[in-house]
Parts: sequence; C-alpha cells; structure tokens
Amino acid sequence: MLTTRSAYLFLAPSLALYLLFVGLPILQIFGFSFFDWDNGIAGDFIGLANYGRLLADGVFWTALWHNAIWVVLTLAFPLLAGLVLAAILAERNASVVRWLGAIYFIPRTIPLVVAGIIWGWIYNPIFGLLNFALEAVGLGGLAGAWLAQDNTALLSLNVVGAWTFFGFCVIIYLAAIQSIDPSLYEAASIDGASWWRKFRDLTVPLLRGSTLFLGLYAAIEAMRFFDLVWVTTQGGPGYSTEVLTTHIYKSFFLVGDFGYAATLSVVLLIIVLSISAGAFALLRKS
Amino acid sequence: MTKSTRLVQNLILLVFALYALVPVYLVFLAAIRSEADLFSGPLTLSWPINFNNFGRIWSEAGFATFFMNSVITAVSVTILVVLTAPLAGFAFAKMNFRGKEALFGLFLAGLVVPAPSVIVALYGNLQALGLIDNRIGVILPQAALLMPFSVFMMRTVMQDVPDELIEAAVMDGAGLFKIFLTIVVPVVKPGLMSLGLITFLFAWQEYLLPLVVFQTESLKPLTVGAASLQGRYGVDYGGIAAAGLIAFAPLVVLFLAMQRSFVRGLTAGAVK
Repeated sequence: MLTTRSAYLFLAPSLALYLLFVGLPILQIFGFSFFDWDNGIAGDFIGLANYGRLLADGVFWTALWHNAIWVVLTLAFPLLAGLVLAAILAERNASVVRWLGAIYFIPRTIPLVVAGIIWGWIYNPIFGLLNFALEAVGLGGLAGAWLAQDNTALLSLNVVGAWTFFGFCVIIYLAAIQSIDPSLYEAASIDGASWWRKFRDLTVPLLRGSTLFLGLYAAIEAMRFFDLVWVTTQGGPGYSTEVLTTHIYKSFFLVGDFGYAATLSVVLLIIVLSISAGAFALLRKS
Repeated sequence: MTKSTRLVQNLILLVFALYALVPVYLVFLAAIRSEADLFSGPLTLSWPINFNNFGRIWSEAGFATFFMNSVITAVSVTILVVLTAPLAGFAFAKMNFRGKEALFGLFLAGLVVPAPSVIVALYGNLQALGLIDNRIGVILPQAALLMPFSVFMMRTVMQDVPDELIEAAVMDGAGLFKIFLTIVVPVVKPGLMSLGLITFLFAWQEYLLPLVVFQTESLKPLTVGAASLQGRYGVDYGGIAAAGLIAFAPLVVLFLAMQRSFVRGLTAGAVK
C-alpha cells in the first residue's frame, strides 16, 4: 500500500465529474425542497411545508405502494428463477451453460424503451399474442387489455421488468455456485442426498451473500425505475402504475413545481439510502 | 439424478429460454413482414425476407441520424469513463491517503442515486451552463451517473494487481502515473475491456437524460427516437419493429461476441 498525496490526483477527474453532475444536484434538491416555486422561479422560504403536502398527497402514497409491490414481486420472481436456473445449469456442460446463459441475458441488453414497445404489442387487446394464446388453450375468458386495466397494468409491467432482470440473477448466482468447493456436493452425493436436498441444504445457504447482493440491487432498481413505465403507461390508467419517479417527472416537467419535485426526490433518496444501509448491516453481520 | 428430475429441469430451462426469446422473435418477425400480414397468419418466418421497413425507417424517419447519435454519445461516455474511473479505482485499491474511507463512501452512496432525482436540479444547472440541447449536456452527466459503479468495479479489479509488482517499480524510482500506465494497465486490460463494454451498453440504453436534454430532432439517440415513433407512426407496426431492432441489435451482437468479458465485468462487483 502506497501512502501518498498523489492519490488525490488520481481521484480528481472522476471525483470532479461525479460531484459536479451528481453530488451538487443532490445537495440542491435538499435546498429546493424548502422553497415555494412558481414556474421555475424560487419564491418564499416555506420550511417543511412541501413535506407536509407530501404526507397529504394521495398520489405519493399510491406511488410508494406500487414501488413496494414492485420490490416484493422482484424479490419473489426473478431472484428465485435465477437461483433455480443457476443451480440446474451448474451441473450441465460448459456449452449449454454458455448458450443458455447468453439467451437468458439477452433481454437485459435490450433498451427498456424497446422492451416496453415489444411487450405493449404482446399485451395488446386486439392483436396481442397473450390474448391469442389464452384463447388457443381455451382460457379466452381471461383475455383482457392488460396494460389498460387498472387491476392488471402494474403486474403486467412487472413481468416485463422480470424479463429484463432474471438473466442477470442467473449470471450472478452461477458465478457464485462455481466458486463453491465441489467436494461439498460430492460428499452430499455419497450420502445419497437428492438434487432437491442439495439445493435446499447446500446451494441456498452458501449463496446467501449473492442473494443479499441481488436483493439489494433489485430493491434499489424497484424504487428508482422509470423508463419502462414512462414508455408504456406513463403511470396510468389513472394512477394504477404511478411510481415515485413518474410522480417526480410529472411534478417537475409537466406541473413545473420544482419544490415539490425536489421534495419527492429527497424522500426517494432517503428511502434508497436507508435500504442500502440496512442491507450493508446485514452483509456485515453474515 | 432421477430421470424425472432431469426432465423437470430441462422443462424449466426451456420455458425460461422461451420467455427470454419469444418477444425478441416477435419483434424480428414484425420488422420483416409487410404491414398487411403483420400479425395475421402463422408466427413463422416468411420468405423472401422483406427489408422495406428498415429502409423506410432508416432514411425517412431519421433513424440513420438517431443511430449515429447513439454511437457518438455512447462512445464518448465510454471513453470518458474508461479514462477516469480506472485511475480512481487504482487509488482506492493501492494507495493510503487521508479521507479515503469517506471518499469511497461518497462513491458508494452514488450507486443507489435515482437519476430522476438528480435531474430535478441538474436540468437547471445544464440550462445555466448552456448545455441544454447540446451533446455535452448528456455525455458529462451520463458519465458522472455511471461513475460510482465504474469506480467500484475498477477498485475490485485493481485489488488483484500484485503489490510486489508495484513496490518493485517504486523501488526503481518510477513515478506513480508511469507505474499505472506501464505496469497496472497491461495487467488489468481484461477488466478495462469489461468496463468499456458495460459502460457502452448502459450509455446506449439511456433514455431519460437525452429525453429531457435534447430538443433538436437531429441530436436525439435511438431510444428517444424509437419511443416517439410510437406516437407519430401509431399503426406502422412494421416500421416501429424495425426501429426497435435497429436500437437493440448492435447491443445483442456485441454481447454475444464479448460474452465472457461482459460476464466478468458484471460479476466483478458482486461475488467478492
């Protein structure tokens, strides 16, 4: 380890960029949130009034609830799918792993804007593949306008989010499984343990670190995702897919209420920082 | 493993492969069909393949320009990140200095910052700097938003450089920057490659920043162009599909060609 002041020179370029375009705006939104804004011009200092408004804002609570649902769904579906797929792939030969790993990850390489368009067609009530498939297997009664009904829109979007995310989980879990000592599995096999037993008693507990990492990653993404909602439903129908980021975007660009958009931003920031602090505490404990 | 266990496993692998690929196949299918038979008839490829949609979108709807803009922005962001983040990663991995923990914590906190929160204040700052509707106004903030991840990943990569290599060079009296260029960079080349690829992927996929910063049509990237097609070309499904394909095909090809390098980068921060 070198003890040297030149370290600051090495840090300077990235730190300067980061502070100017991320650090400074973060400080500014705290400031913005204490003022009353009119059409982009700061007016009176109003203390915590914007925060009071937020507590009484039904759309804020609806959006927060949707983000929370998104967190739970993401933890439940793509993470579990990734774990099971990785555990299965770990025992297959290298070319199968390479090909299926690539296939599962392809959706992640597709910009969410395009993912939204593609899935919009799959969910389309008139020509969409989903309704067509349901009718073909005799479940036509379930067909619907998936993204246009407030009881199915959020769930339907989550399927798209999961589509772009489960391959990432497979890759992370697979790398972790491959670093587990194979003799543990051999010993279990000699004892006659079934695949399921090995999965439950070896793989799952040994991958706890990766699960925590992916869980944190998923939770943060679930709190701050924007593109997918914006290009499909823009928070609608009604407020049925409204999330915190779309509420921020609308308050800022459509309503022009900088103070309130900043207040929402501060609250979102505090939420994601608290989630990560909690996860780090868990990581340190294990 | 019993036969039935293996059968169930294969079925699971297959179902998820279909989940991943069917939407991609559908957009490909829509892009090469004429509008008349778009979603009618069987979901199989029809010959001869019809490239009219690509031609129309590429020349008439401005996708040649959008494509070039995506290339310019993504390449610029990638160069900027690859030139700066490794230096910081090296400092965090191999040097002791006052405030190290605090500065690293500052970067770590940036990992979770939501871009829409930043934009609420960033937008006014860019306006004040005259960077709205300017490429620089997307490139610099985009690189800055990717910096926490990049520095974190580079620190992990640099930790694998043997201390003896660096110490020996210091003994020989080489300057730190020279050591970085001649000794560290050659060792971490695969890591730099991964960083470049992942940065390029994220920069190409970016939607929010170019959406709010660019007003002039001729500056917009593919993501913004494809999204606005939906409104303007509402029922031109073949055209929209071709546009979507143009927007993601380069990324899929790049990923498939460089899979190993991508995976190394994605797991660098996670496994350790």
